[in-house]
Order: sequence, then structure tokens, then C-alpha cells
Amino acid sequence: MAARAEVEEAYEIVSVAVDQAFYRAANPELDRPGFDPIRHYVEQGWREGRDPAPWFSVGDYLKLHPDVADAGVEPLGHYLRRGVEEGRAIRPSRRAESYRRAQGATAWRYQPRKPDAAAPDRDEGPQVDEAERAAIAGEFDSGFYREANPDVVDAGADLVEHFLLHGWREGRDPTPRFSVREYLAENPDVAAAGINPFVHYVQAGRREGRSPRSMLGFRYKIIAGLTSLEARVADAARRAAAVEPAAETFAAAAAAAGSRSALTDLHITFSHDDFSAHVGGVQLCLQYEAAEFAKLGRDHLHLCPATPWPTLRRGEPATLTAILNGRRLGAFPAEAVAEGLAALRGTGARGSFAIHNLLGHDVDEVLAILRSAGLNAGVFWLHDFTSLCAGYQLLRNDVQDCGAPPADSAACNVCLYGPGRAPQIAEHARLFRELALTVVSPSQVTLDFWRRRASYPTAAEVVQPHVRLVPRAAQPPPPAPRETGPLRLAFLGMPAAHKGWPIFAELASEFAGDSRYRFLHLGSARDLRARVEFHPVSVSLADPAAMRRAVEELQVDVAVIWSIFRETFCLAAYEALAAGAAIVTSPDSANVAAVVEAGGPGRVLADEAALARALESGELLDLARRVRQPRLYDLEFSGMSADLAKTDAAA
Amino acid sequence: MKVLCFTSFTFSYLNRARVLFSTLRRFHPDWELVALITDAPPPGFFLDVEDEPFDRVVYAGELGVPNFRSWLFKHDIVEVCTAVKGPFLLQACQSGADAVVYLDPDTALFGSLAPLEEWLERDDILLTPHLLDPNDEPLAIEDNDVATLRTGIFNLGFVAIRTTGEGARFAKWWNDRLLTHCYDDIPRGLFVDQRWCDHVPALFDKVKVVRDPGYNVASWNLSRRKLAVDKDGRILVNGHPLRFWHFTKLGEVGDAMTRRYAGDNFPVYELWSWYKREIARTTDAAIPERWWAYGLYADGRPIERSHRLFYRNRPDVQAQFPDPYAAGPEGYRAWLMEQFA
Repeated sequence: MAARAEVEEAYEIVSVAVDQAFYRAANPELDRPGFDPIRHYVEQGWREGRDPAPWFSVGDYLKLHPDVADAGVEPLGHYLRRGVEEGRAIRPSRRAESYRRAQGATAWRYQPRKPDAAAPDRDEGPQVDEAERAAIAGEFDSGFYREANPDVVDAGADLVEHFLLHGWREGRDPTPRFSVREYLAENPDVAAAGINPFVHYVQAGRREGRSPRSMLGFRYKIIAGLTSLEARVADAARRAAAVEPAAETFAAAAAAAGSRSALTDLHITFSHDDFSAHVGGVQLCLQYEAAEFAKLGRDHLHLCPATPWPTLRRGEPATLTAILNGRRLGAFPAEAVAEGLAALRGTGARGSFAIHNLLGHDVDEVLAILRSAGLNAGVFWLHDFTSLCAGYQLLRNDVQDCGAPPADSAACNVCLYGPGRAPQIAEHARLFRELALTVVSPSQVTLDFWRRRASYPTAAEVVQPHVRLVPRAAQPPPPAPRETGPLRLAFLGMPAAHKGWPIFAELASEFAGDSRYRFLHLGSARDLRARVEFHPVSVSLADPAAMRRAVEELQVDVAVIWSIFRETFCLAAYEALAAGAAIVTSPDSANVAAVVEAGGPGRVLADEAALARALESGELLDLARRVRQPRLYDLEFSGMSADLAKTDAAA
Repeated sequence: MKVLCFTSFTFSYLNRARVLFSTLRRFHPDWELVALITDAPPPGFFLDVEDEPFDRVVYAGELGVPNFRSWLFKHDIVEVCTAVKGPFLLQACQSGADAVVYLDPDTALFGSLAPLEEWLERDDILLTPHLLDPNDEPLAIEDNDVATLRTGIFNLGFVAIRTTGEGARFAKWWNDRLLTHCYDDIPRGLFVDQRWCDHVPALFDKVKVVRDPGYNVASWNLSRRKLAVDKDGRILVNGHPLRFWHFTKLGEVGDAMTRRYAGDNFPVYELWSWYKREIARTTDAAIPERWWAYGLYADGRPIERSHRLFYRNRPDVQAQFPDPYAAGPEGYRAWLMEQFA
């Protein structure tokens, strides 16, 4: 049995590398219907000196490496498992030339890597194959190789020689447009042959139509990593079950935390997480909202699931984190919160509420809490599209804006969020029926879209932007205009896929040698792999103008805001405009595109290909500051729901 | 039009068949869905049709193929699962259905197949070619155009016929050929049930070659088909609604070919991602991987392909061992071992 298992393992390993057509052609006497060349080679062929592929001579391998011959192991499998890494020499089959000629191949010959007939002594050190050097000489990018590999330059090596002998084995690329790792991954036959992938590409691969690097794009990687909504919910349930509920009652915890009005004038907010502990647009909005209610002297209770949950809950048990006036009270079951509020708030208590996001909440729990607080009319924010789909960004499979098509559409059918769509809509419908909700959208384009896709009964619908651009009272003297120099293209914020970072990084790589452009990244987290100039910038409640200031100081000409999802607002776009940068964006970015179309300045380009073409043609160069002489603005932040509460009181 | 739709598989492909039939039920609740199974259930597994997304099961042994076990033994799993399509199709012509549609178990619908019914008002036989547009890159020519010259111009993961006229004549002819010549023997010009259909446009009238790129999309034609998903939620192939996809070679080999030809056309990976989730959801842990009852002798020893080939080529041995699966000293295997000891 053990011997059998060894044969099966050997079969698995060499099966991708055995050239079956070659084996049949080289051994016509064996080729009968049903003949399995791989099995024949593994079980007996190699012992008979039969070569498994044109590029591999069994006899030569055993002659060159007597230790392998002594071990009595199958040579191709040895080479694939260990020989490649050990740098062991191989020679092509003696039948390779005639076989290739019979195939009609004339443009490519197998080049022995050790042309001398004598068995090489591996201690002598490897030598460059001059034919290989000649083949790649015209295409090898020395400047790029030098820049990407300072360690090689330090060692004083000849760059082409270094690449041919060591670099490719270490995954170093010969040009920015050829990826050694990706070429080997996508071409297992080349990997198995143990030949230099760039030499292969130049001599044969390009003619055969092989790609010099993976052309699959960043969306491929996202899709490859997707997990089902069912699995995500199961994971969320496990995490929720591990939460330790607070030891004391909600009322006791609230009393201990101290209040502004003994909860008799209370504003309750609901969202998907603790806005004081996480970074993001909704969280920043809630920080402003909390600050406004503090100024008004009203109590503010924030409720969010204690651990994240990817959909609305429908009866699944989980606790809520309660935050009162910025202090965490702990995790409580919803009924404990409802009981506490009923006990603490007597008759005549005033209040308001705002729903920012319902992920992780249960509609029955929300209704019970609001009823116990005596509240029925409130605000429902459109920060995102949780009210239309569990995929709250409306990114189908996290890769493309879907536009919230009918739930029974082909697109929803293949989307991982598809199974969560109908329940999500049903639960929101129930919420809107039970409460008098004023829908607040941060942009007109978002409200218009939501009206087309949602059919919930609303009390009112209003647009309230998170910030306004206020012309600076005194425009600063125009910054010393850069009369020359490259167009400065910047990415603002988190280098995340849904914000279009891979698209920007790819552009930066593509146009790295183009003197017309300079690529900058302004943000708090850096992507070390990108060939982009990084400038650290952190926006916070304490320094809300940090990004605007940085864009201005760095004289950014164009902010590339290529969000692949529907931005309901996009603070970065307003920061860019306030600082005098133009915006380049895609139609899928919703409010970003709307802002540009309303006067920009900037461009809305059809797709990523159009963006690349625009850089190639130079049509964005007239967005340079020196051409536009932009006006500068200050940003005035809204008080979020507090503004609406004030408006109500005034009315 | 009364339509019967069937697929042919063994229990290890039950998950795929479940996915296919679920999509068929969604778009064609009025079609009769039949599972043609050439296998016996593994121990501990019970197939309850009430719980399955198809209407009934036909086991290959019920098709009335003469000397069934002897005939079965001559074929490997792919050969026999394609061979049984012939007798089933022929019998289905007498079932009262107006049309019969065959789909491979590893296909799945993404849109209605209603246009087929319209086409079958005029034509009797519908076939989908592997390729609708030629390739011009050397690697793509080798992988696709040359490969289909070996295995057949049409992909027999799909065929639809009227049960009368030329459709019935085709069913009879195909049945007859598949009973004796459904082998993977490319040097001899045979590739299971598929290569035979290269003859169809010549041998039969009222044949429609379906040239709509929304049908039978697979890795072998992806070099010439581009997917897009629009904001109305439609999945389009070269601008035409996607009807059905052929998820051939689930696993690394299929993935590599898909990557090679889909490139950055990411909706293709979305479909595969969906399919893999569906397969995971419909896989029954009670069915061992690679289970096939007819892959083993009665004593549980695996049947080597060479044993099948020897038997296939020797009518005298077939006569001597009408049930070659039988184990024991009187069985075919013991005899064979003795012959070649």
C-alpha cells in the first residue's frame, strides 16, 4: 500500500509537467488507446530512461546529480520538489529538437542552460547563458531594476546578469510591466520547466498570446475571498454569544454615569457600531451629532450591536452596547434597555431619536426601546443603503455598483447579499410603518435614487449636507503658482478597494515614468507596495481641516476620487474642492459625480479605461491649478440630527 | 409545449444536479425534470425525490439496455453517463412530451430558456457549438479551436429536440450509435456522445445551430465572450442575456482556464463564486467524494481502466462473463489476473 501511495503522490506532482503529446510521440510503440503517459512514466518509464517532456532529460539529470541517482527516486518529481530550489541543472531531452521541428516550431529553440558538455561543478558558481542575455537585452529595464532593488546595486552586480542568475528566482521583476511571480503562477508549464519566465515570455510566450503579468485585476482577489452571507451571520452569532453582558442593570449603569437631564430630555441614536471607537464617515457624523447635543444640554444615548452583524437581526439573540453622553455603560439585552428607559423616564419626558444605520439591530427591539421611551417620530439617515440591501454599499459581491435592481434579478441571484435582500426590505418596511420617520439624505442625488428604489411610507424627506463650502472671507494671496512641473494627482484617505485605491495605485504604476504626472497619497494609513508619494494626514474632531490644509499645502491639482460604490456624500470631495483641487471621478460615485457635474471643477470619466486614456492623452493637464486659478473655501460642518431638532423646535 | 428536461449523472455529482434543477425550477416550473442516474446510492444515503428539486429519477438499469451489466462495464464513468443519454432520449420521445432538453449536470440557468421553445416550433434539433467566433491567438487556438477539432464541434452539454420528425429520427440514430460507440477514443475519431454530433447538420434536416452567445458559456469560449452586469440586474454576454453557463471542471484546472480567458472580466468570477457557494450548500456529507458504485468490483476492489478496455475489445470474454463485476474465483477479475500472472 505504501509503495502504491508513493506512486500516487509522484503521479500528482509530475502530472502537470509531463508533456503527454511528447511522451506519446517519443514512444510510439507504447501509444495504444487508453495509454496513460503520466502513469507509464511514473510507474516504469523513467527507469527505462524515457523523458517526460522535451525540456527534461531523465538520463542527464541522473548523470549530473549522482546523489539523486543513488537515492533511486524518480528524477522529474525530485527536480520539481527540490531540484528547482536547489538550482540543479537540467538538460533537454535528446528528442526535443526533432519533436519541436515536427510540431512546426522554428522561432524557439530549447537552450541548454549549461552549454558545456561536461557535468558542471555547482561550486564553480553559475554562469549567464549568453543567448538568454541577448534575448532580453533590449527589453530589460535597468533603471527600473536599479530603483526597485537597491540591495543589488549596493552589491555592485551587473543588473542583467543578476536577474538572469538570481533575480527571477527571488521574484524580482525585469520591467514594471512583467511580473515574475504572476507569470509563473498563470503558466504552470513554464514554472514546471524551471526556465527563466522573462526569457520564456520574450522568446515564446508573447507570440503565444500569454500575458506578461496577471491581468485579473483587484476585483478578482476580492471575489476569490468572498464568504457567504450565511457564514458571515453564523460567525457574527458566535461573536455575539461570547459577549459578557453588564453585571448591573441599565438604570443603575445610567445613573452611575451621570446625566444632563436625568434622561428627561433624551436623544437616542442607533447605528452599527461604537462611533467613538471606530473611524469612518458615519462615525464622524455621530461625533458631530453627539457634540451638538452636549452643547444643547440634552442627554444622548447611543445604541449599537455589541459585536458587528452583517444584516438586520430577526430574533437572533445579541446584546447592545449602550453609550450615554460619550461613556460606555456596557452591553445589555434590548429588553433591559427598554425596561431601564421606562423606569428612568417619567411622564412629560421629552425626546428625539435618529437611526443612522440598522445593521445588527432587530426591528422589534428598536420599536420596544422607542416605545418605552415614549418616542414615535424621528429621523432616518441615508448614510448608506442598509434600507435596500444587506450589502449596504450596493456593491454586488463587493466589486461593482449594482444600482439595487429588482430582488429577483439575475444580478441579485449571483450576489452574496442576494439571500439577505428580501428580509432586509421587509424589516425596514415594518419599521417605516410603525414609526413616523423623516428621511434625511446628505445629498439630493442619494434621496432621488432612494425614492426610485424604496417604497416605504415616510413622514417627510429632506436633504441636509454634512458640510457646506463657505467662500473664504479673505482669499489668501494666490499661492506661488507652479508654472512648470508635473500635474499632481492625489488620492485622499484610506487606501481601500471600495474607495478606488487599487485603481489609483495601478495608474501610478502605469505612469510611473511619465514626467507629466506626480502621484500622491494623503491619508493616515500607507500602502507600502504602491509607487506613490505618501503624506500622512489625520482628520479628527480636533483637527477637522487637516485634509483641506494638506491638499492646499501640497498644491494638489487633481483629487482622483474613484469610489466604486455610490457615495451618499463623500467628505473627501468637499475637502478637495475647498482646497482648490479639481476632482476626477466615475459615474458610479454618485454624489462625487453630482458635485463635479454641478460645476466641479473636474471630470466624470466613463470608466477605468477612460481614466487611463485621459492620462495618456494629457487631457487632464488643463485641470492644473495654474490654469484654473481656483477659489478656496472653508468647510462648515452641520450639527447633524441636532440641526433638525432645532428646526422642529423653531417651527 | 410540453417539455421534459433531464440530466445524467452519478451520486458524486448530485450536488451539481441539485443546483441545475433548482435553477430550472426557478425559470421553468412547468417543465418535467428528470434525473438520470447511472449509479447506486452509497451506504447510509437515501435519495428522497420529495426533497429534491426534480420530479423523478430514472436509474440507468431501468432503460432496458440489453446485457446491461456487461454493457456498463465496457465504459468508464464519463463514457457511460454520456452513453445513457441515447436510450433515455429515445424513450422520452414516447413519453408524451413535445420536446426534450438535455443539460449537463454542471450547467446552471441564469435566465429563461423560453426562446428554445420558439425555435422548436420551426426546427427539430438544437445544438450549441463550442465556439461561435474563431480565435487568433496561438494559445487560444490550441486550447479551444484545436481542442474542439478533437472532441467535437458541438458541446453536448446541451441538446434539445422535438420528439417527432427529425428530432425522433436523431434520437433513434444517436441511441443506436451510443449503445456501441460511446467511447473516449480520440485517436479512433471517437469522443463519447459528442463527436458523433459533428454529423448532425449533414445527416438531418431542421437542425438549428444556436448562435446566441448567451447559451452554453464556458471556459472554452470565454476568449470571445465578455460578460457585463447592468444596473437593471441583467447579466449580458456580448450584449445578449445570459441563459446558461457550463461550469466545466470545478477545481484548479477549470479555474486556470477561466482565468486565462476571462482575464479582468470580473463578472465571470462572480458567477463561479456563486456556483461554488451553491455547490457547498447542496453537497451531501453522506456521499463520499468520487463515489461511483460501478467503479468497483463486487468485492470493493477498484476497476482499472485497462480491465474495462480488455473486456470491451473481447466479445468472447463478454460472453464468458456476462456480469464482469462479480467477485470471487469464478469472476472476470480473477480470470484476468490469472491470464496475465
